[in-house]
Amino acid sequence: MLKMTHLSKVYRTEVVETYALRDFNIDVKEGEFVAVTGPSGSGKTTFLTIAGLLETFTGGEYLLDGTDVSGLNDNARSKIRNEKIGFIFQAFNLIPDLNVHDNVEVPLRYRGMKAAERKQRIMDALERVGLASRAKHYPAELSGGQQQRVAIARALAGSPRLLLADEPTGNLDTQMARSVLELLEDIHREGATIVMVTHDPELAARAQRNVHIIDGQEVDLAEEPRFHADPSAAGSMA
Amino acid sequence: MFAYYLQLGLRSLRRNSVLTALMVLAIAVGIGAAMTTLTVMHLLSGDPLPGRSAHIFYPQVDATPAGYTGTPPHPMDMLDYRSAVDLWRAHHADRQALVADSPVKLQAPESKGPPRMLTMLSTTAGFFPMFKVPFQYGSAWTPADDEGRARVAVISSYLNNRLFGGADSVGHMLLLRNTAVRIVGVLAPWRPSPQFYDVRGGRYAQGNTASFYSRTEDVFTPFFSSLQINDGHFQQFSCWAMPKKPGHLVDSPCAWVGLWVQLDTPAKIHAYRRFIANYARHQKALGRFANTDTRMMSLMQWLAFNHVVPSNVKLQAWLAFAFLAICLFNTVGLLLAKFLRRAGEIGVRRALGASRGAVFSQCLTEAGLIGLVGGLGGLLLTLLGLWIVRHQDTPYADLVHLDLSMLVVTFVLALLVSLLAGTLPALRASRIAPALQLKTL
Amino acid sequence: MQIRPVLSALRKHRLATLLITLEIALACAVLCNACFMIAGRLSAMHVDSGVAQPSLGYIKLQGFDSATANDLNARVNSGLRKIPGVQSVSVVNTVPFGQSTANAGVSLEPSFKHNAGVVTFYTAGPGAAKALGLHLVAGRLPRPDEFGTINKYVPDAAQVLVTRALAAHLWPGENPLGKVFWGIGTHFRIIGVLDHLSQPDPAGFGPGQAQWSVFVPAMPGPQLAGSYLIRVHRPADLDRVMTQARAAIRKVAPNVVLDLDQSHTIGYLRHRYFRTDRAMTELLVGVIAALLGITALGIVGLASFWVAQRSKQIGIRRALGATRGDILRYFQTENFLIVTGGIVLGMVLAYGINLLLMRHYELPRLPFVYLPIGALVLWVLGQLAVLAPALRASDVPPVVATRSV
Repeated sequence: MLKMTHLSKVYRTEVVETYALRDFNIDVKEGEFVAVTGPSGSGKTTFLTIAGLLETFTGGEYLLDGTDVSGLNDNARSKIRNEKIGFIFQAFNLIPDLNVHDNVEVPLRYRGMKAAERKQRIMDALERVGLASRAKHYPAELSGGQQQRVAIARALAGSPRLLLADEPTGNLDTQMARSVLELLEDIHREGATIVMVTHDPELAARAQRNVHIIDGQEVDLAEEPRFHADPSAAGSMA
Repeated sequence: MFAYYLQLGLRSLRRNSVLTALMVLAIAVGIGAAMTTLTVMHLLSGDPLPGRSAHIFYPQVDATPAGYTGTPPHPMDMLDYRSAVDLWRAHHADRQALVADSPVKLQAPESKGPPRMLTMLSTTAGFFPMFKVPFQYGSAWTPADDEGRARVAVISSYLNNRLFGGADSVGHMLLLRNTAVRIVGVLAPWRPSPQFYDVRGGRYAQGNTASFYSRTEDVFTPFFSSLQINDGHFQQFSCWAMPKKPGHLVDSPCAWVGLWVQLDTPAKIHAYRRFIANYARHQKALGRFANTDTRMMSLMQWLAFNHVVPSNVKLQAWLAFAFLAICLFNTVGLLLAKFLRRAGEIGVRRALGASRGAVFSQCLTEAGLIGLVGGLGGLLLTLLGLWIVRHQDTPYADLVHLDLSMLVVTFVLALLVSLLAGTLPALRASRIAPALQLKTL
Repeated sequence: MQIRPVLSALRKHRLATLLITLEIALACAVLCNACFMIAGRLSAMHVDSGVAQPSLGYIKLQGFDSATANDLNARVNSGLRKIPGVQSVSVVNTVPFGQSTANAGVSLEPSFKHNAGVVTFYTAGPGAAKALGLHLVAGRLPRPDEFGTINKYVPDAAQVLVTRALAAHLWPGENPLGKVFWGIGTHFRIIGVLDHLSQPDPAGFGPGQAQWSVFVPAMPGPQLAGSYLIRVHRPADLDRVMTQARAAIRKVAPNVVLDLDQSHTIGYLRHRYFRTDRAMTELLVGVIAALLGITALGIVGLASFWVAQRSKQIGIRRALGATRGDILRYFQTENFLIVTGGIVLGMVLAYGINLLLMRHYELPRLPFVYLPIGALVLWVLGQLAVLAPALRASDVPPVVATRSV
């Protein structure tokens, strides 16, 4: 589903070259729930922006759903983002000017969907996250957990092949974080491929598989035993 | 505290220098346009006799002859000869003067120049003291000269410069048409705006009243003397019937003489109104008048009645203020954008203890700063605008200048406009809630 | 295009939207009225004087007495005719765009119960009608024996020409030939109708009165002297002829005063007559330009602000699959909606201002045609002004979505 080989990303300024990713490899199969972990500044976010086609990469190869995305122009990348990828951000990233319904509608609009189908999908997605009754509310009127659930509904509405989550519970308290995580696990069980970036080991432990990044390179998890420290967390996944 | 706001304002203005420049430009252009037209309006609608105009009146009677069948507007803007002279001779006012214009051929035997055509004002001795006309050399003629039909004249400073190089020409002779007259007085530069004593017929001018702001006549002669000197060259304002001999209007059925009177007390004003009313009734009884309508307006009333300010000038003022309003909306919009763009900063300030009032004052200071700079730019544009008006081919071009009061008005207007423009955005900015960081976008 | 979400986003920025809408409304109102005033001035400036302007010059003398008038006429006539290139010299009381000398009320009955209007009387000697190049649409020109002697202002019971416009005013729908009217102490009989002959001061009277002229044939004499129409063979010679004519006057009539203000070609007099209209037109054009400039700046400023304020939002949209074109069109649609709102409000305002001006400045009613013109101008202006900020918006990279604010 998502396969990166020898991928690199270099940020160049006039004085220095910084490798955000260096010879990075990852292969996420269809239906997997993968957590990408690592300390701050390790290149997690860079990985996510490249995986989500928000940025281009410098070297290597990236196959998304079997398609090489390196040569695509801006419009083609927009189309892929719109149809194949759903984003869940740490800061929710709802558009404050639009109400819940209109926020969920945004990706469907760009897909040029008919009004009836849009409406159906929006209601389905909102019901899925348990917020159908809040369709007319504005983001500012919702709690953080509710906002993130709207963001998830927005990501789900387009039936993407791949869900990319960036610290989805980072801005939430424990209670809300748990409900959001449970929602993600439900979605995974229904067959979605999820790649989640996080620095929270507890969260990462709930994924099927962990990929650890340090200094822009993936590190074999076998050498990092402390991530297996909590078997109860791992057990809850099954 | 104000110094701190000033410093913050300056820094903020420097940070968005393009936006700042746009706002300053908008205010400057708006102020420049508004002040240029306002200054012209101010100069053209001013009081030509400050402090005295309330005592100056223009009495009129309806001299439509009995038996006249047409429908003229009554009373006409001027008097017929007989009514004018009757009212003048009665000497019921503190001062009084007859006025009539005519074109006259003038030669100065000493200056050897070609003959020239000038406009001559035929008037009476009361004219000069009543209107406080300033003299450079000599003095006005005496009331005895009026009745004695003396061959004397007063000339303008402009003509004196042209003919005598500005030297004292009292006692020199001029040839008016074929008559030699002796100069008894030379006026100091005198430029009433408008040339109020010749204002009439403004109602019929279709707004083209710029000529009311012409220079004064160059030659002033005693009324009765000039009737002889320039006989056949007088022009009627209007006639009820054709005069027997064109240009000879004495005792003709024509309106062509103006009468100005000075009345110093309300009692005298009242008495004079009664006097002209009695005169009109008496003339009707004698069978000379068909009607008894009379009218007596004060100088400023008369100017307003004649719509002296040209409609083009008024139209320009309208345009300029509409333009200023657009600039104002523009500035409000841009200021709003500017302040709200700093919502994060303001939120943090609020969290750190700035009160609503403090945020409001800070924003308003910034707006005032823009107004001050815009006002300066507006002043320069006003000077440019007035320079352009001065170089236009209009009779009032030479009158146009920026006086101190208008200079002050310029800055007050600029500050007012920008504070007005700043209030709404500043209010909006002061409503931003305190926050240590931005929660939403 | 996605109008509803754009509208709902605007609802969240009510104040800024309202301001820019009001600015556009005011601009629209001023624009429509200013364009209308320009059109009015232009049409006034295109008044048909009815004379062969390129070939005509005017000489005006002052400061002579009527006793010497016949002698003066004879001397000037022969002096001017000697100038090479002169086709004819005739005596007229005034010319179009010259001084207004003989205006008087006329009536259709001798008792003058009803004043039918104030008209200009052109009194002119033999040859003047031909020299002026008057175009007759009905009747005939005066015969040589119809040039009467002036008693006061005009010959008694003269046979005259009137313009089509005046005839239509005095006798609507009737044949004016042979009709009689009264004025300046006598009566006149119409023998011919002119296509055009404007008053000397065509804008000095009410609307539609520019052509209210009567052409009265009269013999030059004490009351018709010192005012001459020069016609040249070739228009190219006119300026030279006028220079020579002014010099010739000083020679043949040294004691009269040449009116330098009036003695010019008709073309120059016309040019000078309309100078304030021209200045006003230029001013109006300048105001329109400045107005549109300021409005465009306002749009650019506000749109730039919105783009900056929403850059995160734009990034999210891009992350969610919006193309650059989608973002560009979003801002264009937004601008279109705001400008449209401004135009709707502006049209109401335009009519309000027009009603006010009609009341105070005798302006005619604003024709509807100016409204779509004003709307089109503002739509185009809005789209042009918003283009740069909208392009900047479409350049916001989608990665902005992942950045914390």
